Amino acid sequence: MSIVDRVAWSALLLFGVFVVYESLQIKYYGSDFGPGPGFFSFWLGVLVIGLSVVEIGRTFRRSVPLPANFFPGRDGLLRIGYLLGALVASVLLLERLGYSLTMFLFCGFLLRVLGKQAWWLTVILTLLGSFGTAYLFRQLQVILPGGIFGI
Amino acid sequence: METFQHLMGGFATALSPLNLLFATIGCILGTLIGVLPGLGPAAGTALLIPITFKLDPTAAIIMLAAIYYGAMYGGTITSVLVNVPGEAASVVTCLDGYAMAKQGRAGAALGIAAIGSFIGGSVATLGLVVMALPLSHFALKFGPPEYFSLILVGLSLVMALAGKSLTKALVMGVVGLIFSFVGIDPIEGAPRFDFGITQLLDGIRFVPVVMGFFGLGEILVNAEQSLESVVMGEGKVSSFLPRRDEYRICLSAINRGTWLGFFLGLIPGTNSAVASFMSYAIEKKVSKHPEKFGTGLIEGVAAPETANNSYANAALIPLFTLGIPGSPTVAILMGALIMNGLTPGPLLFSQHATFVWAVIASLYIGNVILLILNLPLVNWWAKLLKIPYNILVVFILVFCIIGAYSLNNSVFDVGMMIFCGLLGYVFKKLDFPLAPAILTLILGPQMERSLRESLSLSQGDYSIFFTRWISLVLLIITAIIFATSAWQALPSAVREESKGAQV
Repeated sequence: MSIVDRVAWSALLLFGVFVVYESLQIKYYGSDFGPGPGFFSFWLGVLVIGLSVVEIGRTFRRSVPLPANFFPGRDGLLRIGYLLGALVASVLLLERLGYSLTMFLFCGFLLRVLGKQAWWLTVILTLLGSFGTAYLFRQLQVILPGGIFGI
Repeated sequence: METFQHLMGGFATALSPLNLLFATIGCILGTLIGVLPGLGPAAGTALLIPITFKLDPTAAIIMLAAIYYGAMYGGTITSVLVNVPGEAASVVTCLDGYAMAKQGRAGAALGIAAIGSFIGGSVATLGLVVMALPLSHFALKFGPPEYFSLILVGLSLVMALAGKSLTKALVMGVVGLIFSFVGIDPIEGAPRFDFGITQLLDGIRFVPVVMGFFGLGEILVNAEQSLESVVMGEGKVSSFLPRRDEYRICLSAINRGTWLGFFLGLIPGTNSAVASFMSYAIEKKVSKHPEKFGTGLIEGVAAPETANNSYANAALIPLFTLGIPGSPTVAILMGALIMNGLTPGPLLFSQHATFVWAVIASLYIGNVILLILNLPLVNWWAKLLKIPYNILVVFILVFCIIGAYSLNNSVFDVGMMIFCGLLGYVFKKLDFPLAPAILTLILGPQMERSLRESLSLSQGDYSIFFTRWISLVLLIITAIIFATSAWQALPSAVREESKGAQV
């Protein structure tokens, strides 16, 4: 765990440095009285840097073993990749294809590839998850993108 | 005596078959709306306002109030069953509620939430009858310095939300605060951390972050193993009642949650999330085994759920007595009152006494209806967990996408949810607690605004926080919480050494 922790805290250290740098581009003192827009974020960035340095130091002093199965296996990574890929694709397609069609593809892919459902069940659930939810939410006056086909 | 007569008159009006029917329909619709992730009480109540257009003012407000607390309970259902909080107040319920569901105790979690909500809501309604006016005047003493100190009390609770590592909780709290500063600065209007992305000027919205951290983050962790092998609730549905040995703990937790929620509800500008987070932290503080919080303790569900419902009812006190909406949902109710020709404020009690007392009575009746409706339905809701996870997960994601998108009709928010999901996954793997980041994300903008407004009032003099007694008391409470939490976080060896030195 020590190396993993060291990497994580180093990433947070960089985040802290970035926040401090960005804060210095904004006004530290307000035009009225007291702190300006950059005041809080500057000190919070400093705090992140401080905490990260302390924790990085600690990882050198004591070694904690990694929990079992900390890193996902190849199959696990593939499933996470499928999920994230499907989500990113849905973001890219949502306003082009419209909600119903995008969700049709999204549900169909996940139910068939990750869910390993039979074709007939995949079709029924996909219709429910896409056109069914579109109908329900539009009844509730929630605006969903119609895309080029207007559905 | 006069108050009592008014109240009885109110009950007579509220118990008319038609008003009773509207309250029941409101509770059902509210619960159904609350169950849909992304549609919290505020959005739910706003969506359903048109349904009440054709009703008379009393029936309309009775129905909207029922939708309001129905939606509050609906948010709890998704928090417990699928780890996706519908609104801010339910975030903390995820911690132990979802853990209970995974142990096959979803029924008990939802049951105690319904019972706690009933008790909290009923006591707050009683408080509305008895102490409305004097308490509202006290709440008016809260200016920017008092708010700032109150928020500091809230922020000090980050320490109480710490799991195994106080440093990790602190850094997560700071990350939440930094996220909350993204967008236009509230005082001077200067853009911050927007990187030229227009959507970021509006700030990072709370819903995508919560859905990502909790909902998607959990799904990604589960996806490490085959989704068919993920079993929710061990395939059985427990009783909706707590175990015999849990009754006393639950009662104490409900008692504390009720009073905390009631007090915070009186203060305009606070929100129900603060009430639920604070009550959770208090339970952890008073518990004999704080280290077990987050593993499925029933008091971790009972206290925040009670506090948030008590808050919801108490928040109507400043609305009715002073015309000040205490929370976004109450502001929507205020809009509905105005649309019906009623101006909330001190004159409402004298000019529209029948209406006000009918609504107050209906609040109590609504709580009873909610309990009657939800206790038998608890097992039905819990059966959702019997849906195979590889199917359930797809529908959770669909609802998360809708919830994030519908906030602002923007795919950017869906992208933000995915980004936060990935962050949530990494933080979970590294054992960083997520709740502190959510708490500070909610409180951050208000804290900054109160501090800067206070300093404008005092012309830059920081003593304003120590010379006003409410602010001073709150600062002392903050200092005590910090000191005790830091002491508890010290390694036990250091504590023993220190005690030995004193002897």
